[in-house]
Amino acid sequence: MLGTIIQQTVNALTIGSIYALIALGYTMVYGVLRMINFAHGEMFMLGAYAAFLGLSIFIGDIGGAGAFALTAIFFGAVIAVGLVGVGIERIAYKPLRNSTRLAPMLSSLGVSLSLVTGIQILAGPQPVGFPSFFPATRLDVLGGTVTLVQIGILIAAFVLMFGLYMLVNRSRAGIIVRAVSESRPTAQLLGINVNLAISLVFFSGPLLGAAGGILYASYYGIMSPSMGAVIGLKAFTAAILGGIGSIPGAMLGSFILAFVEVAGTALLPIVSGGILGTEYRDVLSFTILILVLLVRPAGILGTPVSEESMVYKREF
Amino acid sequence: MTLVFDNLRKQYGNNVAIDAVSTRFEPGLIHGIIGPNGAGKSTLINMTAGSYTVSAGSISLDDRKLSGLKKYQIANAGIARTYQNIRLFDQMTVLENLEVCFYPQEVGQTWKEVIWPPFAKKREARRQDACMELLSFFNLQGYAHAYAGSLPYGRQRMLEIARALVTNPKVLLLDEPAAGLNHHETAELTAKLSELKSQNRVMIIVEHDMDLVMALCDRIVVMHHGKLLFQGTPGEVQASSDVQLAYLGTANDIDDIKAAAQDRRAQLGIRTRQRS
Amino acid sequence: MSSTDTTMQSIPRTGRLVPIVVFIVAIALIALTPFLGNYYIRVVNGLLIYILLGIGLNIVIGYAGLLDLGFVAFYAVGAYTYGLLASAQLGIHLPFLLIVLIAALLGMLVGILLGVPVLKLRGDYLAIVTLGFGEIIRILVNNVDWLTGGPKGIARLDKASIFGIEIARPVDFYWLLLVTVFIVATIVWRMEKSILGKAWAAIREDQDAARGIGINTTNAKLAAFATSATIGSIAGVIFAASQRFVSPESFSLQESVLIVLMIVIGGIGNILGIIAGAAILILLPEVLREFAEWRILFLGLLMIALIILRPAGIVPRSFGPERLIRGLFGK
Repeated sequence: MLGTIIQQTVNALTIGSIYALIALGYTMVYGVLRMINFAHGEMFMLGAYAAFLGLSIFIGDIGGAGAFALTAIFFGAVIAVGLVGVGIERIAYKPLRNSTRLAPMLSSLGVSLSLVTGIQILAGPQPVGFPSFFPATRLDVLGGTVTLVQIGILIAAFVLMFGLYMLVNRSRAGIIVRAVSESRPTAQLLGINVNLAISLVFFSGPLLGAAGGILYASYYGIMSPSMGAVIGLKAFTAAILGGIGSIPGAMLGSFILAFVEVAGTALLPIVSGGILGTEYRDVLSFTILILVLLVRPAGILGTPVSEESMVYKREF
Repeated sequence: MTLVFDNLRKQYGNNVAIDAVSTRFEPGLIHGIIGPNGAGKSTLINMTAGSYTVSAGSISLDDRKLSGLKKYQIANAGIARTYQNIRLFDQMTVLENLEVCFYPQEVGQTWKEVIWPPFAKKREARRQDACMELLSFFNLQGYAHAYAGSLPYGRQRMLEIARALVTNPKVLLLDEPAAGLNHHETAELTAKLSELKSQNRVMIIVEHDMDLVMALCDRIVVMHHGKLLFQGTPGEVQASSDVQLAYLGTANDIDDIKAAAQDRRAQLGIRTRQRS
Repeated sequence: MSSTDTTMQSIPRTGRLVPIVVFIVAIALIALTPFLGNYYIRVVNGLLIYILLGIGLNIVIGYAGLLDLGFVAFYAVGAYTYGLLASAQLGIHLPFLLIVLIAALLGMLVGILLGVPVLKLRGDYLAIVTLGFGEIIRILVNNVDWLTGGPKGIARLDKASIFGIEIARPVDFYWLLLVTVFIVATIVWRMEKSILGKAWAAIREDQDAARGIGINTTNAKLAAFATSATIGSIAGVIFAASQRFVSPESFSLQESVLIVLMIVIGGIGNILGIIAGAAILILLPEVLREFAEWRILFLGLLMIALIILRPAGIVPRSFGPERLIRGLFGK
């Protein structure tokens, strides 16, 4: 029993930290631009494909690769995706910055569609096996099985999130980003380089998302062009659950969602007497999303925006 | 037909924006609400129109309690308003901006409008006649088929007032109608508003332009720090020492400040330069 | 104010040439299609179904300004209504028109049930919640095997017939769809012109100001949602009847995005624009058949380019059915 609990807890932490890496991108973009970036799930997918490309070009056989080479490929891939993110913002969102609020969202739907089909054309639509970045060693912890992959994912995710935390809270660049999130017009009046802040967000968000993609593909040993859609939606759920725009909120929301999912997957068949199987896990996540939006749209750590102070203007 | 505020209060957290305001607004008169920035004038308008909720106390029109109703219900009870920042339906024509106000009365027979074109035509003609009449009153008839968002600023202000009048409201709330208007337009506005005075209508104007307020209003309510400071005719308001105090501070205040500044300068060894 | 003469022309009245050309081309295409091969008629039928879907979704997106990304759920409701009531799956074999009626009511009901909680949200949150609902319905359909057949779907649906006339060949569906599109487009256009349509526009422009003039925005939005759902459901019935097969594959998230794309490309809020958008979306891939896999990529890029370069779409909002009619009959 204790073994199962430990194992499920580690499972939840692993999934939660991957959600968190993606959710951070949603929340930061929403913070600076007040837009939902529907193409963000695709950064997750691109990360896995970029790493796979790096592996097959530089190493060929993962068995013989050293830790240093793998680390280099990991960072090479996530930085490349970060640059793609900056490029996408420049081309597809920047021209719409003064447009209606929904225009960049529609544009991001277009970006998402293009990226998925682009990868489908280049790499084929079928799922591809992904070599793990970590040795497949299993450890026995008090009766539960924990893999080195999981531990590696947890460490990598926490290092990256800590890095982001330091960047946002302890660096000059972070101050610029936070200022722009508070109020873009005011930041602009104060002579802050708004474009730089937005580029920074569109670099670090996709970078973390791509890292999430590599870790996810390592975990499940598989990747596909459409892997970003559902996981993106879930990470977005996590971002909303925690309070969109809030960085700690995105992390908190991700872990809560992951725990609910793991518990739900384990309990759903039991509670429903076998009628609802594990395939309803996604239904559970979306139901949570909808309930949160209806009951407390500001999320757990977000500041509630009262109806009174909101100015509704046309969005099309 | 009287609009009554009874012990009205609005609170954000611990911050009291409106405190114990009780007053009555009578039909046939133009009421002004004035006060320094942050006195709570716009908050009163927004509470009356249902844009803000009421924290305590009540607003009622005759015997009907308005506070607590939804915003559209308040509008349908006969309260119409304009906004401090103009809020028109930009991508609709000027005529449509007015026509849409018939929605509450006419929506019930939409299905008939859809399936029976002659009925729709007749109804549309009747709507448009009423709206064109109002547009002519505001000299906007020439803009009828232009998009509202494309109108010059001053015309947009007029259009917003026209829109508020379509359903012949019992209470007309004007939130800084003269803001941003030039001299000529303000004069035009003043003339139109005085023509709109009617025995069947309560008119309330929040405005910073004192010339307009004094020229137009029959009764004035002075707000200060969320409290009702004074109410009376324009003459009484101008004579009131309380009001002068709120707006200007007292003469003594000014002398005190000057004296303090003098002392400080002396301390710092700065010689006061005499103005020539 | 002496501005009467100049400002009357703010909405330009173009000549009659464009409307007449558009009308003649449309009549010619409509009349020629039945003489094409079955393959091409099927392509045109697909186009007409997309036009129907576009007209339905446009009520919510174009008229009321609410981004609904789960529209395909209503399409699925209609398709599965036909799948279940006209097949051996449940052993029920109802006549086609009765199923259309049932599906329309069911679509409306589902629209209202989803709309009541959802429509309080707006903008981006509404988009994400409708997207979630769309996915939930797809997952349900995929997994409630005993009812929907799961991923395999339901095959061998009944042949449709109306008053004893069998509707089975592509050309039969062509006429059925043409009549349906015409009726639906007319009704929707008349709704847009009605006072309800004006209220939708007001909500799109400024929801709060719309409340301020006495519009019960929740009800008006619900009406838009329900009407749109009804149309989506009817399109689903005809789709299922023409395929004689339904499966969850036809109702993916991508399908919803494509319908939104079609509206955006053609011209948000304009029935003629939707027809143009659907034509591009359906016919372009046919033209580019050798490059089949490139077409969605191309459409995605086109969407980005159009939103940036021509946010109002190919056909401007002002060139609607009214202008077409006015141009034709010279009024």
